[in-house]
Amino acid sequence: MQILPFQQPRQPLPLAGYWRLKAFNQRITLLVSQRATWVNMGLVLAVLAASTMSLGMGSVQLSPAEVWLALAGEGPAMHQLVVKELRLMRVLAGIGTGAAFALAGCLMQTLARNRLATPGIIGIDNAATAFAVASVVGVGSALAPPAMSLVGAITATALIFALAGSSGTQGYRFIVVGLGIGAIAGAGTQLILSWVAIDDANAAFPWTIGSLNARSPDAFKLLCAGLALGVFFAYRLAKGLNALRLSETVPTTLGFNIKRLRAASLVLAVFLTGLAVAVAGPVGMVALLGPEIARALCRHRGLPILASALAGALLMVLADLLGRIMLAPLEIPVGIVTAVVGSPYLLWMLLNPNFRSQP
Amino acid sequence: MPILLLGCAALLLLTSLASLLMGAGDTTPWQALSVLLGAGTEDARFVLFELRLPRTLVGLVTGMALGCAGALMQTLARNPLAEPGLLGVSAGSAFAVTLALLLGASSASLSVYVAQAGALAGCLIVLSAARLKGVGNDPIRLVLAGATLSSLLLALTSLLLMFDQRTADEIRFWITGSVAGRDLASLRHLLPSLLVATALTLLIIRPLAALALGETMATNLGHKPGRIRLTAVLIVALLVGAATAMAGPIMFVGLVVPFIARALAGADIRRYLALCLFIGPIILIGADTLSRILVYPLNYPLAYSLPLLALPYY
Amino acid sequence: MKALATVITQPAHPPSTALSTHALSAGHGKHRVIESLDFALPENQVTAIVGPNGCGKSTLLNTLGRILAPQGGHVLLDGIDIHHLPSKQVAQKLALLPQETTAPEGMTVLDLVRFGRQPHQPWYSQWSAEDQRIVKAALKAANLLDMQNRELDKLSGGQRQRAWIAMAIAQDTPLLLLDEPTSALDLGHQIEVFELIRSLITQGKTVAMVVHDLLNAARYADHIVAMHEGAIIAQGSPKEILTPELVYELYQVRCDVINDPVNGAPLLVNIRR
Repeated sequence: MQILPFQQPRQPLPLAGYWRLKAFNQRITLLVSQRATWVNMGLVLAVLAASTMSLGMGSVQLSPAEVWLALAGEGPAMHQLVVKELRLMRVLAGIGTGAAFALAGCLMQTLARNRLATPGIIGIDNAATAFAVASVVGVGSALAPPAMSLVGAITATALIFALAGSSGTQGYRFIVVGLGIGAIAGAGTQLILSWVAIDDANAAFPWTIGSLNARSPDAFKLLCAGLALGVFFAYRLAKGLNALRLSETVPTTLGFNIKRLRAASLVLAVFLTGLAVAVAGPVGMVALLGPEIARALCRHRGLPILASALAGALLMVLADLLGRIMLAPLEIPVGIVTAVVGSPYLLWMLLNPNFRSQP
Repeated sequence: MPILLLGCAALLLLTSLASLLMGAGDTTPWQALSVLLGAGTEDARFVLFELRLPRTLVGLVTGMALGCAGALMQTLARNPLAEPGLLGVSAGSAFAVTLALLLGASSASLSVYVAQAGALAGCLIVLSAARLKGVGNDPIRLVLAGATLSSLLLALTSLLLMFDQRTADEIRFWITGSVAGRDLASLRHLLPSLLVATALTLLIIRPLAALALGETMATNLGHKPGRIRLTAVLIVALLVGAATAMAGPIMFVGLVVPFIARALAGADIRRYLALCLFIGPIILIGADTLSRILVYPLNYPLAYSLPLLALPYY
Repeated sequence: MKALATVITQPAHPPSTALSTHALSAGHGKHRVIESLDFALPENQVTAIVGPNGCGKSTLLNTLGRILAPQGGHVLLDGIDIHHLPSKQVAQKLALLPQETTAPEGMTVLDLVRFGRQPHQPWYSQWSAEDQRIVKAALKAANLLDMQNRELDKLSGGQRQRAWIAMAIAQDTPLLLLDEPTSALDLGHQIEVFELIRSLITQGKTVAMVVHDLLNAARYADHIVAMHEGAIIAQGSPKEILTPELVYELYQVRCDVINDPVNGAPLLVNIRR
């Protein structure tokens, strides 16, 4: 048999659904997914629209135009006060926590190769809450709760891995362990609340089920910093995580260090969750729903990092808005809204005969 | 087997005694002992018979009910992780009770039946989920589905509570599970349903053991799987509803008790169900007493100490 | 064969990349499967690793492909310990196709095959002209060019497996390790995959594969490595080593060996206990 040399100049192989950006005589070639671009742009618009509605809603009703005027520093002083001083922080906190929860969820699902392995389900949220509550009712300094919430998230993760044994994030064992840890941590939170004076308990209570009411500015600043770093590192890890979506072994054969990849994504997910819990309490459903929505919109091509974060932000702002207008003037904590909305979806997912655990 | 049962009975007696001697109220173990022996001061008698005895009895009944319900449910779902607390059965009855209280009900006897109806609904939902294709073979999915149902019902419960502050304060303590502050009268209300549950259990225990081998096998042996399953669901609902009405939704007892019983007596439900009757109360009363000693002088609700017991299981 | 010959890439590497083991011990946790094994993979041949269940053939393959870290001894790639080399560098010389492969929903053939280029891509180069050329060649070799935009879920088992092999081909390595590439495929799809594997040899590649079926090993491999309880008990060309004695030693069944009247490959007949 004759071996023919490869003919050099050939027509390019077009990649459907991507824009190919090239520079320096093709030394730099970048691929931009068209679908992901449209999805992300749509999500940004949706977040903006939901935020505008949320900023306008309340005891003083404002039209979208009035909201934007107030944000730009125009319009009546009353409007500016309401929008900028009273409501803006709340909406920003919603966007930040939603993005952090969903990004953490996306990372965790991918590294464990299981859609059910979100920080909320495996109990990291609850542990972070328990620790943060202990700090709120006990220590009372401004920076302590976020730090404690991080400590709680890390402790829970360490415990889960210690108890799950050698199997690590593979298989279901660590989910079962996580469920148990979550239940124990939830009970711990209740225990702390029943220990302290009733006023302290009432103050901390909405936050223990997830609320944007009790956020502290310091925790929010930390969250913003963490989120910026988180998105950056998530993109650094994206290539390896994408390979991990194929199989346990593919990252190694493609030259990624799988242990480092897993450890880095886990650390990132745990930190993001801890920071988000410090601001808004355990709103674990967002970590499940955000990436699900993002994957569905992006049709599973590539790891939807930005889309997950944006979808999470949108969910959080909408849930908060819903909680505020549904029983107004009563305010339903955002954690309850997401649980009532998200649980049926999770149930449907679990009971679907064609359920695939792979993200 | 008889030795095992005797040992468990002795242990239960000891635990109950400990719970009577040490616990709520300012009475030393010695004073309590003298009351038990027929002497003792008026104060000590009051503490023992009005505070501690009901609490111990409630623990006894609740423990038995939850232990058996757990064993039945695990056999039904053919899943060692199936447990009334995890699978949303307890949350179902808590939700029903909250709803009833919100609609104006207040009598204790009403809430027993309401709780049982709620438990029945929760149980039916979860067990029909277990029969879905793909879910039944996947233990974790079933448990997660139950946990999700639980958290959904608890979220709805808190939502209901937001309508009404008065009910909220009344319920909040109950919701978290406790055997403190119950009187003997409410125990009497439970008696009929517990008797019915016992009778039904005796009736289906043999077919149930056959069902553990699989549906085809049970039919093969001349049983009617559908009817057995429904009866067992009814029993679980009666037991869990009663226990929840007594002490609020308590987690993990239904998980740990059958696990220990199986470890001691083997996998046949006919053998280990009897053990559950003893081990359930031992664990519940033991946990209650221990928590009273450890965090003296606080009496904190039972639910908080029980998850800790489940830790070694994982 | 003609269609295949036209797409062959010019050998980008020196054709000899040697993979061998020195006193290798391997296993999972406390359970040690392989004990001090010395083995060198014959170059530019298809090597089939055969043996009964649990004999350590997958363990050997996974250790060779650095999925499993050795518990003792070394895996040497061109004489250097594979665990001392940067993972990316190894990935340019050695590709491994795992046994269990499940692609995410909605992934297309082209998406999958593109993964094979990752060891060669710096972050700023995601789809260079060379990537396109090699991916196209890999698709063509696997006869998938007109299915490149189909979703993997919607392909047949054989097509899907060919897509995975195309990904390994696109990795453009001189060495390919395949773990049971035809398990769970029906006869037609098995032949499809084995013929693709054979065609790789004409491109100067070295292939090692774990195969369950002795007959297929005899037909498609140049070299057979027979493993039993973690040790290599025989190796050589199918004709040399495939004897009734070896088959009995491996599987405790008796049989006769005749030559295939058509292509001369050894055939097992009259198999009995």
